[in-house]
Amino acid sequence: MVVKIRLSRFGNKHSPFYNIVVAQARSARDSKPLEVIGTFNPIPQKPTNLSEEEARKAKLYKEVTLDRSRAKYWLGVGAQPSDRVWRLLSMVGLVEPKLKFTEEKLKVPQ
Amino acid sequence: MPPRINSQISNSMISSSVTPCLFNPSASALLLSSSSSCCSSRFPAFSNPAPSWPSPTGNCRSQRSRRPFSSSFFLQTRLRSRMFEWLNGEGTRLKHHIPGSTNYLTNLKERNASAASEAKSAGDHSADAGGSEEGALSDIGGNRPFPLNPSFVSESILSEELRNEIYDRVVIQKMSVRAVSVELGVDMKRVGAVVRLVELEKRWRKEGKPLALPYARTVHEMIPTTPLHHPPRRQVAHESINDLPVHRLTDPQIFYPVSESRHFTRVDAGRVFSAAPALPHSKKAGITSADPSILTDHVTRHPNQIERVGKGDSEHEVLLPADARIPHPHLIAFERDRLAKPAEYRERMHLYNERLKAEEEAEKERKREAKERLEKRITKIETKDGRFEFRFKDVVVSRETTGSNGRGTTAPGRRYGVPTYDRKKGQVKIPTRVEV
Repeated sequence: MVVKIRLSRFGNKHSPFYNIVVAQARSARDSKPLEVIGTFNPIPQKPTNLSEEEARKAKLYKEVTLDRSRAKYWLGVGAQPSDRVWRLLSMVGLVEPKLKFTEEKLKVPQ
Repeated sequence: MPPRINSQISNSMISSSVTPCLFNPSASALLLSSSSSCCSSRFPAFSNPAPSWPSPTGNCRSQRSRRPFSSSFFLQTRLRSRMFEWLNGEGTRLKHHIPGSTNYLTNLKERNASAASEAKSAGDHSADAGGSEEGALSDIGGNRPFPLNPSFVSESILSEELRNEIYDRVVIQKMSVRAVSVELGVDMKRVGAVVRLVELEKRWRKEGKPLALPYARTVHEMIPTTPLHHPPRRQVAHESINDLPVHRLTDPQIFYPVSESRHFTRVDAGRVFSAAPALPHSKKAGITSADPSILTDHVTRHPNQIERVGKGDSEHEVLLPADARIPHPHLIAFERDRLAKPAEYRERMHLYNERLKAEEEAEKERKREAKERLEKRITKIETKDGRFEFRFKDVVVSRETTGSNGRGTTAPGRRYGVPTYDRKKGQVKIPTRVEV
């Protein structure tokens, strides 16, 4: 059976919060996983402790916590990240970034 | 402005404290005679003259006996009618406050008397008006709002000048919060709050938001305030700044037998409260022999080195002696200096300033290091066309963090099998801190 790295949803209505988990592929989304290796908060946060100038320019950010060594281990033993987790893992260079559909299409004629 | 005692008590006191004023003989005399007052015109039921049978108690039961078989709803109780009598008679003095004095019920009689004497001697009033104005707030109105609860003292608030001075010193002159707190006698937390609130006010002014200025002015006129004194005069302390906060660990009373020969200090007491094993004798000798101010400095500058006891989630820091836990430990060293060198004021002040500066620098360094450490843990990633930045924080998943049953609180992620009580009755959801 496949082991996946995926998100499981926590938080109340309208305030999603995800654990990045390693779990059996056929198990329920929110069931107890093999391991929790991080979290992902999809709600954009405002950066704090900035001067007024900086605050005007500042970008909102999304918080991710991740144990990279555990993620690397699970990828090494064949765990398959879901699309969303793939995107997060590719940001820190643990997997090759997947190209978006449109970008792939644009590349073909070249 | 925290009241000194439980406000519940005082609330119950005020309800009973109004009644004696309502039932004084002058008020009841007015009750029978006045028919042209505004309240009687508004409440016609009240204007009926009272029947002749005795009703000395004046409570609701007497009113029921007055009309025993009536089923119609009586608009006003006698208590209520008397209240209006009082409000229109004696109480009218409290309707408008006198700027510069409190508007409390307690001193109503004195106020009435003084008003009467003032009316008599209106001619020679202008002669001595200048001298008695300042600091008269507490004298004229008194600072006890509840007549039957003299323990309740309404404490003074910061005056506008003092407030602006605090902001000026911290933000413009770049003085440390600690130094400003000591100089002006204002708690460090309050100094911080003043700076934040003045900052907010300035922003609101810039944005053109309406401010409740008449309200603020009236409140400042009615409540005792701490004035700002300029150099020749000494600044009056607004509050006690070096109070020791009560620590949770000191709540239980512990019976701890100690042999007479043992040198039992505050350090040991802290260890007993936090259930830490007693220090070995060799280590203890070093602690007691050193200068206490050096020890305190060391502890306050290196909070990470404070010993910890307990296992897992119940791990906590060993309770420090009171000398290290007070808000301004450096004042102890200053006092020691004062006792040691009573004549050398200049040298003492020099030492004091040096110590403050050193402490400030250490604090700055500590904050910088903490920020650096945090930034090292966080990777900021900007996506190409994304609106958002992603901040990756390194965490550790291991046997130590998750614990043997997988429910450790230091491990990342929301936990499984642990109910959240956020919807349960009595859960306080008021945020305790706000990041701006």
